[in-house]
Amino acid sequence: MFRVVTLFALMLIALSGVQAKEKLQMGLSVDVVPVGSDFAGQDIVVFGAIELADQAELYRGEYDVFIEVIGDLQEAIVRKKDRISGIWINAAAREYRDVPSFYSLHSRNPIEEVVDPSVLSNLGIGVKYLKAKPVDRGNIEEFLTQGEFSSALRRKRIESRLFSENASSIEQISPSLFRASVSLPPNVPIGFHTVKAHLFKDGKKLDEVTHTFEVRKVGFEEWIYNLAHEQSLLYGILCVLLAIFTGWFANVVFRKN
Amino acid sequence: MSIYLPIAELSVNIWILFGMGAAVGFLSGMFGVGGGFLMTPLLIFYNIPPAVAVATEANQIVASSFSGALAHLRKGTVDIKLGLLLLVGGIAGSTLGVYIFSALREIGQLDLIISLLYVVFLGAIGTLMTIESLRAIQKSKKNGGTAARKPGHSGFIHKLPFKVKFRKSKLVLSVIPIIALGMLVGILAAIMGVGGGFIMVPAMIYLLRVPTNVVIGTSLFQIIFVTAFTTIIQSTTNQTVDVVLAFILMVGGVIGAQFGAAAGHKLKGEQLRALLGLLVLGVCIRLGYDLVVTPDDLFNVIAAGTEGGH
Repeated sequence: MFRVVTLFALMLIALSGVQAKEKLQMGLSVDVVPVGSDFAGQDIVVFGAIELADQAELYRGEYDVFIEVIGDLQEAIVRKKDRISGIWINAAAREYRDVPSFYSLHSRNPIEEVVDPSVLSNLGIGVKYLKAKPVDRGNIEEFLTQGEFSSALRRKRIESRLFSENASSIEQISPSLFRASVSLPPNVPIGFHTVKAHLFKDGKKLDEVTHTFEVRKVGFEEWIYNLAHEQSLLYGILCVLLAIFTGWFANVVFRKN
Repeated sequence: MSIYLPIAELSVNIWILFGMGAAVGFLSGMFGVGGGFLMTPLLIFYNIPPAVAVATEANQIVASSFSGALAHLRKGTVDIKLGLLLLVGGIAGSTLGVYIFSALREIGQLDLIISLLYVVFLGAIGTLMTIESLRAIQKSKKNGGTAARKPGHSGFIHKLPFKVKFRKSKLVLSVIPIIALGMLVGILAAIMGVGGGFIMVPAMIYLLRVPTNVVIGTSLFQIIFVTAFTTIIQSTTNQTVDVVLAFILMVGGVIGAQFGAAAGHKLKGEQLRALLGLLVLGVCIRLGYDLVVTPDDLFNVIAAGTEGGH
């Protein structure tokens, strides 16, 4: 209910047409994405409005909105196998800091058609322009396209659907209202994710707005995970008791036959 | 139907896992082995992280060995004294094994060592078993009857001090080789995610000269405790036991084992051993192949924890 009112208010502001600096407003369909036993990915809806925009330009579709969904920054280790006396062994390794655990970019058009690559690269928008900090280079940020290890990291994340781009997932409801359907894959990392929307016109960034949501284990999964990490001894004992019970039960059931 | 595994943190098909449990259970029931040496590689092929596969498999083996040991206890084919001595070594070995496991995971060589251990042990045991059973089959064809293998005297092991009498096994044996064997199997159980029956059983028969009728029961008896202990140590040290995964495998496993046992009764001992030997060799070759053939992708990525923590 609250969201509908917000949306309505946004529409009023958007339509009032006061000429000032353009602003973005955004809301999410959820604050928490629950991960239960049947979790197989989920779609969330990001909706928003461009306000204080020039009406004529708005109707000509000169504004562009990009939405980024960015997971927690994590450490990652990339290892490369090498053949040592006939056997493939993990040999060289590089460690990275501040690698997004998840990244997806949503837009209405391919971003490079709308904004100059140098601008995107400066802002770090798009899978192509993601950066991380290799530990062996003194934690200085580099693009994940530099060098074979960085590229492998990026490629692996794309293959496992953790990094993605979708140039048709934003739907324009009215000239000033947009809606994006963000699909989170089954392996979406647990933790906080930031949704960042950027407003562009003529290849220049005008505004940005962020929101967070949490992907969280719930119910039984949450209980199990917490028990395993916070009370690991008790958890281990319970695992053993469950196994003994199962073994005993099987023995009793099948002995009768 | 997919189910989310809370520790492995991935969504898997519950029926595939159940089927894997049942299939391995069938084979283990048929051959009288725990099946860990088949299940752990299968789980890894199915993209379960090796650390989770190994630790979870230890938990599953608790169920299958408990179920099996109960049957042997009822028949009176368990040498408890021998089992307890093996266990002393087993607990020490398992503790050491989990420690080695964590260290290997740290330096990124865990997968390699798991594969290498599998190739070496499965290769050796599979070869020995196949040769021995093929000979037995040949012999029984010639003689028209099964030739019982007469245990000879392996001098060195029987000369060791600290001898103890085992009534059930009708043996007098030094505790040193028993504890050493228990320890070796304990280390392997922790690193490879196996019960170790496939090493314990032949070692008890050929090295310790324990009578065949008490070997499997005694081995199962001590495997319960070693794998239970491994499960607890793995969960406190590495937090990699996935109880949901373990439970699906357990249920599949115990059901499969019943049918396997029934099928096993229809085959002769040496035929069973020959089949098991070939199966063990098959797994060994499959894992060895992966080690030597050029991988499709030379790179692998490990996410190493969230910074800042939530």
